Amino acid sequence: MENPPLRPSTYQVLEQHGVDRRSFIKFCTAMAAALGLDATMVPQIVEALENKPRIPVIWLHGLECTCCSESFIRSSHPIAQDIILNMISLDYDDTLQAAAGFQVEDIRKRIMKEYPGEYLLAVEGNAPTKDGGVYCTVGGETFLSILEETAEKAKAIIAWGSCASNGCVQAAKPNPTGAKPIHALLPHKTIINVPGCPPIAEVMTGVLTYILTFGQLPELDRIGRPKMFYGQRLHDKCYRRPFFDAGQFVEAWDDEGARKGWCLYKMGCRGPSTYNSCSTFKWNNGVSWPIGSGHGCIGCAENNFWDNGPFYQRLSGIPVPGIDSTPDEVGATLAGAAVIGVGAHFVSSVVRRFGQKPAQPTPDSGDKGRGDV
Amino acid sequence: MATAIREFDPKDMAQHPDSYFRREYVWELPVRISHWVNAACLIVLFLTGIYISHPILAPSGEAYKNFVMGRVRQIHFISAMVFMVSFLVRVYWFWMGNNYSRSGFPFVWRPSWWRDLFRQATDYLKLERGHVHLGHNSLGGLVYTLFVVALGWAQMFTGFALYSETNPSGFFGRVFGWVLPFLGGSFQARMWHHTFAWGFVVFAILHVYVILYDSTQYGNGLITSIISGYKFYKRGDLKHDRWVS
Repeated sequence: MENPPLRPSTYQVLEQHGVDRRSFIKFCTAMAAALGLDATMVPQIVEALENKPRIPVIWLHGLECTCCSESFIRSSHPIAQDIILNMISLDYDDTLQAAAGFQVEDIRKRIMKEYPGEYLLAVEGNAPTKDGGVYCTVGGETFLSILEETAEKAKAIIAWGSCASNGCVQAAKPNPTGAKPIHALLPHKTIINVPGCPPIAEVMTGVLTYILTFGQLPELDRIGRPKMFYGQRLHDKCYRRPFFDAGQFVEAWDDEGARKGWCLYKMGCRGPSTYNSCSTFKWNNGVSWPIGSGHGCIGCAENNFWDNGPFYQRLSGIPVPGIDSTPDEVGATLAGAAVIGVGAHFVSSVVRRFGQKPAQPTPDSGDKGRGDV
Repeated sequence: MATAIREFDPKDMAQHPDSYFRREYVWELPVRISHWVNAACLIVLFLTGIYISHPILAPSGEAYKNFVMGRVRQIHFISAMVFMVSFLVRVYWFWMGNNYSRSGFPFVWRPSWWRDLFRQATDYLKLERGHVHLGHNSLGGLVYTLFVVALGWAQMFTGFALYSETNPSGFFGRVFGWVLPFLGGSFQARMWHHTFAWGFVVFAILHVYVILYDSTQYGNGLITSIISGYKFYKRGDLKHDRWVS
């Protein structure tokens, strides 16, 4: 009997778990569509998942809420629970694995030793930097030092979710633990930022599929997000966009516009400034998504979204210390001050002139040009 | 030097205007055109911008019959393009035009600019008629540089970055897209673009008032000069550094 391969491919593992060929091909086709690939690329994905050994993955958890993992394991594609968890060789994930304590840390060290430059580092959450990073420790070590140690020989680093890619709530003001996103902690590494709180499951699997299929990182934008999923704003593919262009907006949560499904722009929807795939993939197997259920987007995939003012307000306050006003309040105040200033000047110049004889022009005798005295 | 004081004789002034006023061609055609195009664009940009951020006047009926926000945004974007061209023409003319096209610009390493700035500010505050300038005085030059040039650049960079969002891999995205992460994201860029817009309102209030005041105080034809290009002065009026004329 043939020995099971030392490092099996994704498909080999799936076979062992009883996933049939048909479901596997369906998953590959869905992934090709998600990645924006041509149908002719499906065989390439199939081949990669069939033959390439699974990528060993170390999945670290820092300051976070585990919503990224929750999203990932609830990927709703028919066989996703199987595929996703088995697609990668998730060798270390202190939240999901059965082992605990020193055993777990041994596994991490072993992967780092056995697969240097081959393993993928997936980071969920970020690291506090204040007071030597003591606000997040795993197995007696600070998360910051674990992150730096593990990142050193990683093939690639994926920053899952808004914590890892933007800082999220723990880095929001006043950020008592000095939490910083991964790209700020590892400035010399290429990091794939997959923001969202949490990111969409299909986006997470799409990123992994791409890396596994092509052996390289997907094309990233200026701030390290995969262009295929974060290349557009929700707004540009929103099904309520026609109401935006028409100028028809919800003014209150229970008004006629809200019932008719008009645009939520005036209710503070962050769709026009949020790059994500929600309007394409939606959530929970495409059941719905925030705007679909009548609530504006809160921009959870955007940098600093907790501090961008109330979620139900179009514009935030000016982020200058000591000023707690919207741009309109600041602008109108300055304009008012200008009016008062010129008004005072006008009144005093009228008072000064009052009773004075207007100056009469007097001829001069010289005929020299400009510049004479 | 003593000037003989005579009774004012309107007939004499009509017959020999040159011995009363002298005129100088100050604002060349590109400066005048740029001024009015900028003024028109900024008014349109501010009003459409306010609508875009606070859309009122909701139309009734089906969405497909209306295109209010779409049209307002279109007008905003077209005005922005026209403003950019007009602005760049004026920047080009800074170098190519006559000395007045550079007058008042904060050449901060010239002591004469600082002297003129202080003198002009105190003259305005003391309601006194000081030196007559044919071009911009230092105070005017400083205000124009801050409120038109610097704000203009800021609005163009933030504005075109926001404009590029519909197509981040296009031309505008490649040229201006870096502004969004630089300012901390699309939302912050929007907030700054909106805040800066108010600077033009503050500027318009100051500008219109000072133009009216300066024109009456100095009798230099300041208001008509931006239409005709000519400003007036009298003998004895001018004794200046040519950079702050």
